Amino acid sequence: MPLGVEVRVLIAFFTLALLGFLPGSSLARPPVPGISEVSGTIGGGEARVRFTLRNAFTPEMVEALKSGIEITFKTTVEVERVYRNWFNAPIGRVQYTRSVRYDALARVYRLHRDDGDELLPDVLAALDRMTRFEVVVPVTGDVEKGKHYRARVRARLDKVGLSEPLRSIFFFSSLWDVETDWARGNLKTS
Amino acid sequence: MTPPPAGPLSPSPGAEPAKRRRERWAIGIVAVLVAALTFFEAHLAAVGGAVAFSSNIVIFALINLNVVFVVLLIFLVTRNVFKILLDRRRNLLGAKLRSRLVLIFICFSLFPTMLLFIAATNITTTSIKSWIGGRVGQALTGAIEIAQERLEQEARALSPAAESAATGLSETVDPATFPRVLESARTQAPAGTALLFFEKGAEVARDGEVPPGVRTEVLNRIKAMKDDGGADREGTLIGDEFAAAWSRTPGGVIVAAVRPLPPAEAARIRGIARAYDEYHQVRLLDDPIRASYIGILILITLLIVFSASWMGIYLARLITVPVQLLAEGTEEVARGNLDVSLDYRSSDEFGTLVASFNRMTADLKAMKGNLEETNVSLTKTYDELRRRTQFIETILHSISTGVIVIDRHGRIAMINKVAEHLLQIRTDGAVGRMYREVLREEHYEAIRSLYREAGEAARGQVERQVELLVGEKRIAFRVSLTALRDDAGEYMGLVAAFDDLSQAMRLQRVLAWREVARRIAHDIRNPLTPIQLSTERMRRKYAADHAEDPVFAECTQAILSGVNTLKHLVDEFTRFGRMPIPRLEEADLPVEVRTVVDTYRTSHPEVRWEFRQEGPPRVWFDPFQIRRAVTNLLDNAAAALEGRGSVTVTCTHDEAAGKARIEVADDGPGIPPGDRDRLFEPYFSRREGGTGLGLAIVSAIANDHGGTVRMRENMPRGAVFEMEFPARPPVKGNFGSSMPGNDDGRRGI
Repeated sequence: MPLGVEVRVLIAFFTLALLGFLPGSSLARPPVPGISEVSGTIGGGEARVRFTLRNAFTPEMVEALKSGIEITFKTTVEVERVYRNWFNAPIGRVQYTRSVRYDALARVYRLHRDDGDELLPDVLAALDRMTRFEVVVPVTGDVEKGKHYRARVRARLDKVGLSEPLRSIFFFSSLWDVETDWARGNLKTS
Repeated sequence: MTPPPAGPLSPSPGAEPAKRRRERWAIGIVAVLVAALTFFEAHLAAVGGAVAFSSNIVIFALINLNVVFVVLLIFLVTRNVFKILLDRRRNLLGAKLRSRLVLIFICFSLFPTMLLFIAATNITTTSIKSWIGGRVGQALTGAIEIAQERLEQEARALSPAAESAATGLSETVDPATFPRVLESARTQAPAGTALLFFEKGAEVARDGEVPPGVRTEVLNRIKAMKDDGGADREGTLIGDEFAAAWSRTPGGVIVAAVRPLPPAEAARIRGIARAYDEYHQVRLLDDPIRASYIGILILITLLIVFSASWMGIYLARLITVPVQLLAEGTEEVARGNLDVSLDYRSSDEFGTLVASFNRMTADLKAMKGNLEETNVSLTKTYDELRRRTQFIETILHSISTGVIVIDRHGRIAMINKVAEHLLQIRTDGAVGRMYREVLREEHYEAIRSLYREAGEAARGQVERQVELLVGEKRIAFRVSLTALRDDAGEYMGLVAAFDDLSQAMRLQRVLAWREVARRIAHDIRNPLTPIQLSTERMRRKYAADHAEDPVFAECTQAILSGVNTLKHLVDEFTRFGRMPIPRLEEADLPVEVRTVVDTYRTSHPEVRWEFRQEGPPRVWFDPFQIRRAVTNLLDNAAAALEGRGSVTVTCTHDEAAGKARIEVADDGPGIPPGDRDRLFEPYFSRREGGTGLGLAIVSAIANDHGGTVRMRENMPRGAVFEMEFPARPPVKGNFGSSMPGNDDGRRGI
């Protein structure tokens, strides 16, 4: 068989694998995670953005959290000036990391944020802290009252902290794939 | 058989070696890639449970790439296996051996690998199950509970100190009473205990040394408690580095008695906590881990199996290629192609074998060359010998002398046709047989006798005229016998030459008869005319006197008649004795012969005369003498038929043989066997009134033309006279060598 035929067979196989694999894995996903209740104020050189992360923790992730696996989410918050007949202008952007881990010895959930750590007594409190955000975003330029400002938020599962032996097994992979679409909410000028 | 073009035999003709090299490289690269990717995927999660990969394109690509390479490896190896099977079906040289070797290698690799795979899978599954089983879980849970209990006990031991300090402080930290409070609390606290005072979420006072991390941890824990609403008045705190007890004052001040753990104890407790976490994580990720391990095992198994298969194919080719080359080379040598050279280089035994084969073919080729040269030389020698032998045989068969060559053992080494004819020997198988067995007793004795005489002769040669019985006739031979000796005088055999003297004797007789005829003609012709004239005179003068007496008339008439007869006889004798030398000219032989036949057709209408002609008509001959000879033959035929029968005259010119032949065949009574030998002798005639010179003249004319005349029986009856002579004259000399002649062209009488 000529080499060209072999190459064509491989390309065909690879293409079929792509076609067959990608949609299949997408359809098998659990309820789509998302961000809701994006709101906040802008003024004084900063914007305070509040939002809630929904469906981010699947039951398996909750179980994993209880088993001592550290779960880290990274959120991206962008603030932009909205123009009616022109492109929107970004005026501020911040990335915010928040992780949680259960300490079986102390029987507390350790929440780690960029602005400090927090200990939480149970899983419900930990999940509440992990899914409700109020983020301060420094903005550039003057904020004009009466103008339209908007916040765009996206969150994704950043990493899963496994114990050392398991890290060697799941070196390249993330156990779960959680990523939200961009959610938008208007900001009030203050 | 034409040998195939010379040239080295390569492992595979054409572009096959490059293709195989390319294939080997492809398989090697793919195997390495598969191994590398397998190593990376040892760190990958396998599909299973809720694990998703769609967000990780790198992992997805790696896995797919690995699968692709595994498939490619399978494809290449399978293709080779199918190719081997196809070669085996086509009965190609070495295909059976190669397929057997590959099968053995595959079996040797497949069975243990599969067993290993099954065992490893079971062991992995069992290990994971046993790891996440109840006992381990219980042990780890118990361990961490023990650790917690131990820390709780430690913390409870600190409660009196914390409580004492909180009680002493009342509502707030008063600097006036604070030293007394500390003094009181220290008396109740174990050694190494530190007192921390928190108010409104911040540390306000401290007594004793505490690592910063522990202080921060205690502070965070205190803060977390604040969220409870401050319902509890006291409690304990444990961590992997400390144990603490706290007590709240009514004023909200929290006093924490903290005792950091010794480093060794802290490390043990951290180890317990880590093991506990790992256990729960493994338990949670049981399926993905197992799937991951099994996937890795599958990849390794496939890699081993197909690598082993490829190795089997490679080794089989390593063995079968030189074997196949040797087989093909041997076949080429068997077909006679000694230019074959196997193009295979290796330092192993096969390389040595192939090199030996090449040396062998080269030696064979050199030997063949020498043999061919020798053969050419021998062939030349043989051809020369054969040519000489043929030349000698041609000479022997061409001469009119019979020759018999006898070797030293008495075996006939050579015998020519004339000898066979003269001695009437049946020569089938005569050569190589003892001459005593082949020759008649009389002939054998004659040769023996002559051999003895030759032995006594000085030159070993003797020549005698002997009469031997051949058939029923005694024939005179001149036998010449020569003993053969080599240069050393060693006897090598003998040569016996036989010359038939009967023809020569007949010619001598003819010459004698001619001389007689000439003398008779001379002596008789002279008195005949006076006798005739005298008798006629007597009749004229005395006829009237003896008119009454018839005796006179009868006698004189008888005399005249006798004289005429004698004249006629003398004329015949004269013609026979004065045969002229033939004057050859190129003429139309059939015309001449037909003229004579036509004459006889007219004079003998009662006989059916038939004339045939074969071959070209122009022949060199003496028309007068040939007409005369034909006349004599037709005269004899007409006389033999006695007025009833047919005569067929055939004129033939055989250009290839250069012979002209005249056959006169009649269906008369034929010639009695006893008269046949003397037919052509003068004065032999059975016919009443015949002179006996007709056939003698025919024989003389034939001889004078350089030919012969023969008689044979005609079938079913009658006789055939066949006169044959050369159609063209000889380059030199004259005809008629049988007859001595004069320069004037007349034969002397």
